[in-house]
Amino acid sequence: MADDEFEIEDLFDDLDEQSRATSGRFASDEVTTDPETSPTPTDAPSVDDLFDDFDDMVAKKHQTEGGVPTSTTPDSAPAASEATREAEFMGEAGLAVTGQSRLEAAFGSGEGDDTAVAQVAQVASETSVGTIFHQVYRPWNGKLNTRWVRNWAILRYHIYGLFSKGHKPWPVMTKLVLFGVLITSLGDLVLLAVGAASGTEEISRLAGISRGNLYGHVLSFWFRNACTYPIVTALIIGGIISEDRRNGTSALYFSRPVNRRDYAAMKYLSVATILGVVVLFTLFAYYVGAILVNGEGWAYLIDTGLLFLGAFAAGTILVITYTSIGVALSSISQGKFFPAVSFLGLILGTKMVAFLIFWLFDSSAIYLISPYDNVAHVGQWMLGLNYTYEHPASWSLVMLLVINAVSLYILSARVSSLEVTRE
Amino acid sequence: MLEVIIETYSLTKNYGPHVALDSIDLKIRSGATGLLGPNGAGKSTLIKTLLGLIQLTSGDGSVLGYNIKTEGDMIRQRIGYMPEYDCLTPEMNAVDQVKYCGELTGMNTSSAHRRAHEVLEYVGLMEARTRQIETYSTGMAQATKLACAIVHDPQLVICDEPTNGLDTKARSFMLDTLFQVVKQGGRSILMSSHMMDDVERVCERMLMIHKGKLIAQGKIEDLKAIDREIEISVWGGADKMETGLKDAGMKPRRSGRVMRVVRIDETTYDRVLEIAAKAEVQIRRMEDYEPSLEDLFLVIMDRLGYTVKTSSDLLQTQPTARAVAPAPSRPGGEF
Repeated sequence: MADDEFEIEDLFDDLDEQSRATSGRFASDEVTTDPETSPTPTDAPSVDDLFDDFDDMVAKKHQTEGGVPTSTTPDSAPAASEATREAEFMGEAGLAVTGQSRLEAAFGSGEGDDTAVAQVAQVASETSVGTIFHQVYRPWNGKLNTRWVRNWAILRYHIYGLFSKGHKPWPVMTKLVLFGVLITSLGDLVLLAVGAASGTEEISRLAGISRGNLYGHVLSFWFRNACTYPIVTALIIGGIISEDRRNGTSALYFSRPVNRRDYAAMKYLSVATILGVVVLFTLFAYYVGAILVNGEGWAYLIDTGLLFLGAFAAGTILVITYTSIGVALSSISQGKFFPAVSFLGLILGTKMVAFLIFWLFDSSAIYLISPYDNVAHVGQWMLGLNYTYEHPASWSLVMLLVINAVSLYILSARVSSLEVTRE
Repeated sequence: MLEVIIETYSLTKNYGPHVALDSIDLKIRSGATGLLGPNGAGKSTLIKTLLGLIQLTSGDGSVLGYNIKTEGDMIRQRIGYMPEYDCLTPEMNAVDQVKYCGELTGMNTSSAHRRAHEVLEYVGLMEARTRQIETYSTGMAQATKLACAIVHDPQLVICDEPTNGLDTKARSFMLDTLFQVVKQGGRSILMSSHMMDDVERVCERMLMIHKGKLIAQGKIEDLKAIDREIEISVWGGADKMETGLKDAGMKPRRSGRVMRVVRIDETTYDRVLEIAAKAEVQIRRMEDYEPSLEDLFLVIMDRLGYTVKTSSDLLQTQPTARAVAPAPSRPGGEF
């Protein structure tokens, strides 16, 4: 044990000496005081008195021998020394060392406390320091709009998502392909402008408004209906309903005042609108562009107006048919891939099969299985072109009606099966 | 007197031969109400019925004063529904998702946008509200679903398993939030859950359905009174005490030195003390036992004649099904 360490035996040695000293002091007091005020037997030094002195001695021992300080806090150490001296002084004056004086000796809770300034934790005030998180439910007293505003929200969500954030997150690839197809669809207008700008009549005649060119803009198999329009449709319809089924977002629709008819109609309209921009808007731009570029007048409008309307109607049938098939395929699956691939398979595959069978058996009726050929046949009839099919156009028209009806039935049945609680 | 927000009369829904809801008569008052029942009890069907989404086989009812058969749109405009399963678009951020939900309910775009920020702050997603939902934890996704449900400040919020998959902290926050919706916002909640503790923490009333039938409804405290017991700890002769209690017709339930007997009235305490004195057994502790909702559920099931395993039973079951069978002895002996 180190020399400066405090030992309990030392305390008891000092205690014996102190006991003797205090005994002598009481003896002298008895001599000098008045007998009436002399201590009664109960005033004789008690064990407590001895231990009062014992406390003093402990404090003194700490000071003189460098023992363990009363408080380990650096700031309170001088105060503790001061208080210890105060306690000794009171003991010498014959005053009892109370619990308060012990506290003062230990923690310096008396002297200087009035002037001391303490740093204490404060309750956060909103005006001074702000709050991190305060959960307050705020009511909303606005007015809810009608059914058509809700439907417009669904339509806007899908269409605006193509060029704006905060709406349906279309994949970047879909946006890029759509942009590319849109530019490609305006190719005949560009050609027309180049012909007019360069003054080359051959180009203007080649790209100008005619039955063949109007039909070609909408219904030519190569390149538009073999590559661009089906691919755009496949990319758009891929997740239009199937993702709602996969992500469970159908619950968000049907737990709100959106009925299934409106839901299906708005999904359908969203796809049709996007396809309409690609097919019909570009047709309109081509026609208006041809008039403006060539500076044509009313007579030209009257001559070609019906042709344009025929092409527009054929384009509308194309958009409706592709949309019906695509949305129906999307409604029966849970991902993007299956509806997209099956749509391409249906449009291009049936065309390919029909072509092969026609080549083998020389019967055009087999083209009735191909949605594209049915639209093309009806389009030829609308534009007054020579038919490339041997069977009557009315068969194709009936077949188109059947294809659309079956598609809409599937769409309706599958949307009815979309669940709110669980899939 | 609290307002009645949901009321049904002989609500019945059959799916072919299967009876999903069997003549249910409900009367739910404003405030927080728990909807309890095991899997297949008919909770989801009841919720769909209340949302006005399915055709009833028979019966009638109203939610917030609107008929569930004919005014489904009006009901759904005034209700917020928080589905149990995923229902969010992973590629969207929470603000856009909640805003879209508001628009689907009929809010203006600007109002929905402003309100989306407000409710996301309320559910504790203020800092993460512009992150894509696919990066969210389960707790954050649940909070987003709640935000979607309350974006239009509905009078009634129907929550289907709101604490499903949440850890302790997230679960606690979700329950606190729901509680605040009722206490602070003055809205009503119908909370479907398997977690009886959750229901007990948020709700003051409950419904219990089983096999399509309503088996209990009312205040949780009142329902608990049907299973009031006294729990005693004895020392020095638990067997004698148990025998004494049985002889007195008290049907004790015993686990070691701890026994529970049904508290009939105030005299039950005296009778227990007398039995202990006769049996010369010390009673170290005797107090009213506060039943949990799970106890209540078990008692009700027991009275109806169904055997339901408690969570502790399930935990104590020996995993025989998963035990590894010893390797078969080889016909030709060991190699």
